[in-house]
Amino acid sequence: MGLTIPHLHLLLNHVPTVGTVIGVGLLLLALVRRNDHLTRASLEVLFAVALLTLPVYLTGVAAEERIEGLAGVSAGAIETHETAALLAFIWMQITGLVAWLALWQGRRLARPTSASVGAVLLLSVVTLALMGRAATIGGEIRHPEIVVNPDLATAVGAPTGWLTPDAIGGFVTDFPWVWPAAESLHFLGLCLVFGVLLAVNLRILGAMKALSFASLHRLLPWGILGFSLNLITGMLFFIAAANQYTQNVAFFWKVLFLGLAGTHFLYLTVFDKMWSLNPGEEAGPLDKVVAASAIGAWIGVIYWGRMLPFIGNAF
Amino acid sequence: MMALYEWLEATSLSTWVREGETIWAFPTVLTLHTFGLGLLVGASAVMDLRLLGIGRRMPIAPLRSLFSLMWGGFWLNLVTGTMLFAADATKRGTSGLFLAKLLFVALGVATMVLIKRSVFDAPADPETAAPNVKLQAFLSLIAWVAAIVAGRLLAYV
Repeated sequence: MGLTIPHLHLLLNHVPTVGTVIGVGLLLLALVRRNDHLTRASLEVLFAVALLTLPVYLTGVAAEERIEGLAGVSAGAIETHETAALLAFIWMQITGLVAWLALWQGRRLARPTSASVGAVLLLSVVTLALMGRAATIGGEIRHPEIVVNPDLATAVGAPTGWLTPDAIGGFVTDFPWVWPAAESLHFLGLCLVFGVLLAVNLRILGAMKALSFASLHRLLPWGILGFSLNLITGMLFFIAAANQYTQNVAFFWKVLFLGLAGTHFLYLTVFDKMWSLNPGEEAGPLDKVVAASAIGAWIGVIYWGRMLPFIGNAF
Repeated sequence: MMALYEWLEATSLSTWVREGETIWAFPTVLTLHTFGLGLLVGASAVMDLRLLGIGRRMPIAPLRSLFSLMWGGFWLNLVTGTMLFAADATKRGTSGLFLAKLLFVALGVATMVLIKRSVFDAPADPETAAPNVKLQAFLSLIAWVAAIVAGRLLAYV
């Protein structure tokens, strides 16, 4: 049994819709029951779903390249799905980011403030609607039996507006300064996220023991800032030159390591044991293993990212 | 000077870095240069942010350990950077952008040494360090941002 990239897209593509339903459901239940643990759990789910949405989008573009020439597949339907998916992806990432910030804040203030929980609720409901729309259009690409009005479906042309993959790709390639500028920002983001996570994880491994974990925790949003900066600039590269990445084995490994590194962000602000690491105290062996593997994950991200043009075919 | 660059570019090491048909030549040297950058600028950024007032609950003195990361990154990049320069010496040596990058790196390293002296090696408690330390931290950030932008743009000239 060979697992192809389009197959991977079909495996993963239910995660954003079903995951957001679960996240929103848990959040509503938490609000009704006034249960802080449930609130935290819902924020954790939404962050994890946002992370998983990245490979869903990326594999979707790879799948498009494979099926767009097939008989009975409407290029218009694919483009409409891709544009809807990009919009849903953006809202999902914002939701995940705000959910993480709420968790981070909840660490410092004993619980997330109602303002940030309210913001996550609002964002996740919008995301759910957009994700449902993207999923519905996506289903129509290969399932003519569910299309209510076939004439309407085939009449769908290429989407217009500035927030379409075509318009964004055009922006990146039409202006010669955009790609170098985004590359510069991508390297600045790299330093920010790598520096912050190195400092935090080295403390867990036993360096700078006079620092409590809680005091270093204050730096984490700067790491998330670097992470977000690189997600945005990275998506610009991907959208503008997708075929450099979808066929690139180095990119596959980079995204895999990115997933591990992203999960580690959640770990750093969720687990109680780490939070109570006082000045001078030694972290437990399991925490050290996690810290070492987080550093390893970032080394993997940077290695495979830098090797994109050499092992793979990116420029 | 040009004769020196030409000689440098023709050495067997430069030729290997430039033309070696192996992952260990240019790709690995460039990747190590990226790791050095992450170490040097990443650790500096953490230090600078703290000195600028982010995370005041964090005592400054233990951050001294970050200097080993910075120097580790610096030496790694001095070696890999020299190799990358030698491989392309006639082009880089005459590039204003490359000279600008060197200048920004020098400024970054200078602020790093200055911060070490004024904050960590001063007899006073690091928490009550020299009033101009924020200026030093700010200059350090500016220098590294400029060095990275200049270095990144070198790929496009």
